[in-house]
Amino acid sequence: MSDSPSTPLPGQSDKVVQVDKLSKKYGDNIAVNDISFNLTKGEVFAFLGPNGAGKTTTVEILECLRNPTGGQARVLGYDVSKRSDQAEIRKRIGVLPQDFNAIDRLTVRENINYFGAMFKHQLDADKLIELVDLKDKRDEQFKKLSGGLKQRVGLAVSLVNDPDVVFLDEPTTGLDPRARRDVWSVIERLKKEGKTVFLTTHYMDEAEYLADIVSIIDHGQIIASGTPDQLIDAHGGKKTLIIRDAGEEGLKQLPPGLPKAELRNAGDIAVPLNNGELTNILMSLGQTPLHDKEIEVRRPTLDDVFLNLTGRRVSEEGN
Amino acid sequence: MSRIITIIVGHFKSWYRSKSNIFWTIAFPLLLIVLFGAIFGNGSTKFDLYLQNQDLTGNVPTPLSQGYVNVLNQTGAFNLHIVAAEQPDPLTYVKNDARDHNRGQRLLVIPLGFNATIMSGKNATVQLYMDQSDQASASLAGIVHSVTVSYAAAIANAPDHLVVQQVGIVTRNIRYIDFFIPGVIGMTLLTTGVFGAVNTNGRYRELKIIKKLATTPLSKIEWILGMVGYQMILATISLIVILFFGYAIFGVTATIDIYTVGLVVAAALLFPGIGMVLANFVKEAESADAAANAITFPMMFLAGTFWPLDSLPEIMKIIANFMPLTYVNAGLREALIYSEPAQALTNTVIALGFAAFFIVLGSILMNWKEE
Repeated sequence: MSDSPSTPLPGQSDKVVQVDKLSKKYGDNIAVNDISFNLTKGEVFAFLGPNGAGKTTTVEILECLRNPTGGQARVLGYDVSKRSDQAEIRKRIGVLPQDFNAIDRLTVRENINYFGAMFKHQLDADKLIELVDLKDKRDEQFKKLSGGLKQRVGLAVSLVNDPDVVFLDEPTTGLDPRARRDVWSVIERLKKEGKTVFLTTHYMDEAEYLADIVSIIDHGQIIASGTPDQLIDAHGGKKTLIIRDAGEEGLKQLPPGLPKAELRNAGDIAVPLNNGELTNILMSLGQTPLHDKEIEVRRPTLDDVFLNLTGRRVSEEGN
Repeated sequence: MSRIITIIVGHFKSWYRSKSNIFWTIAFPLLLIVLFGAIFGNGSTKFDLYLQNQDLTGNVPTPLSQGYVNVLNQTGAFNLHIVAAEQPDPLTYVKNDARDHNRGQRLLVIPLGFNATIMSGKNATVQLYMDQSDQASASLAGIVHSVTVSYAAAIANAPDHLVVQQVGIVTRNIRYIDFFIPGVIGMTLLTTGVFGAVNTNGRYRELKIIKKLATTPLSKIEWILGMVGYQMILATISLIVILFFGYAIFGVTATIDIYTVGLVVAAALLFPGIGMVLANFVKEAESADAAANAITFPMMFLAGTFWPLDSLPEIMKIIANFMPLTYVNAGLREALIYSEPAQALTNTVIALGFAAFFIVLGSILMNWKEE
């Protein structure tokens, strides 16, 4: 272990990741533009943004796969731009690259041991298999697994060196809803074990469900950061009262004084709610033919936050 | 070191668990050997016989010597290959020429003074050089003897006026299959090396396996050493299996010497090196596969795998000189079959030179980190 000031003892600082004015340019194209954020020990941090926003570039700089063109980044106190520090970082991080596949013709267990052998110390493969719930598939070749199970192997592989921080790049992209939930439950388990997790995703619900802290990145810049609640409170806009299947007719039947009500797809009426208005509106609705319609109150989501901040919605295809 | 072993073991398991890998590295070469051996193995039903007529006056064969040659020809038993009378060392010439054309090394020499000796009523002698271990030797010598006796009887009415002096030479009578087996080994090393490297560098990159490994303490050089180590094991297996079957089915005997080892090492560096260069120029794994086909196929056919370089047109011979496989094939042939260490050494050195060039170039070109 070097004594240089750039290499403090691991664990000395709670700041697992420190990013300061980080930039990455490819010619004239700026992939990451002057971003700063920190990740504290034990946190699940979600880097949220549409495809092409700069998430993977950032995470790959932190994994020492790419060199930054400006600013500074430290992982576990080590400088990602310094060669000697990079070796220390590689020993201590766990990585699940985007679209990762393990080796087709090795079994689940063999794959875990294969990647484990790259490190001086590796965790017991069977324990990891248990953690990701793949006991039945232990001796199955990787190529025979479904997409969701493959991703769980990837998660186990990313944990094989008992890392101080795990980078998961789009871990649920392309998975069906059930498989996504399974991956979430593994990440929740990591969180319970106190692991620090750096997650990139373009799924708003994923960030909202899993993350302690969310940073939203768009066009290479961070446009908002905070806990999901903080972001929603600050940028999500008002709660909405939804009256199901009311249609055009329903709009006419609304009590007076709700001018901002609008008709949404499938005939739902959406009424923006100000604080304290809910009871009054419900009581007045009781007097109208709409009283027997299904009614719900929708809280704004990170989707709304993104929409309000950028004027666009994040879609699976990017935007 | 343990990381390198892990990579070798990982590649090896992936190899033997794939039926198509086993087919291409073991079954396919064996199939080729059996097919080509069956088609060309026995060659023509005529005996190859080199003939040097030294009995000339001016540049014209003497009448009796020419008559003798005609009679030999008329039997229809021989493919006569004429060696020029001025050739000072006909035996060496025959040895080389026979090898290049996969013919038996058999030489009949009609000496100077043949015509005059018979005319003077004395006994003339022709020399038949051949290897007693040559399977064709008995029947061939028998035919030569009877033709000679009848010729003597016809021209001088004295059958014993012409004597065939049989001179034993030690040769390796090279059959097509002897020629072909080292070629199949070269071809197998070429395809497994190039395609293996395209797969492990192109496809593993697409599957993000390389990206994942680059985030661990594994270094690029360890990764490459692992791949080369695996290729050496595979090359050794191919060599042993092919030689074993060559011996079991066709009785091909081979000598494994230091040059064989050198050539296997060269091949295990050279062909994966070419594959790595391809995988780095052609980023998409499928296109890299196509590029590998485009490179290996012409090389296979032009570098003396299936037929001798001598049978190629001049321009093709020149192209073949630039193909690394040419030297691996030639070296393996000289080391394994012909037992010609001097020539094997030259080819081994050239192959190692190519190997160093391609593995270094491939390693430099390979991106371990992202750009």
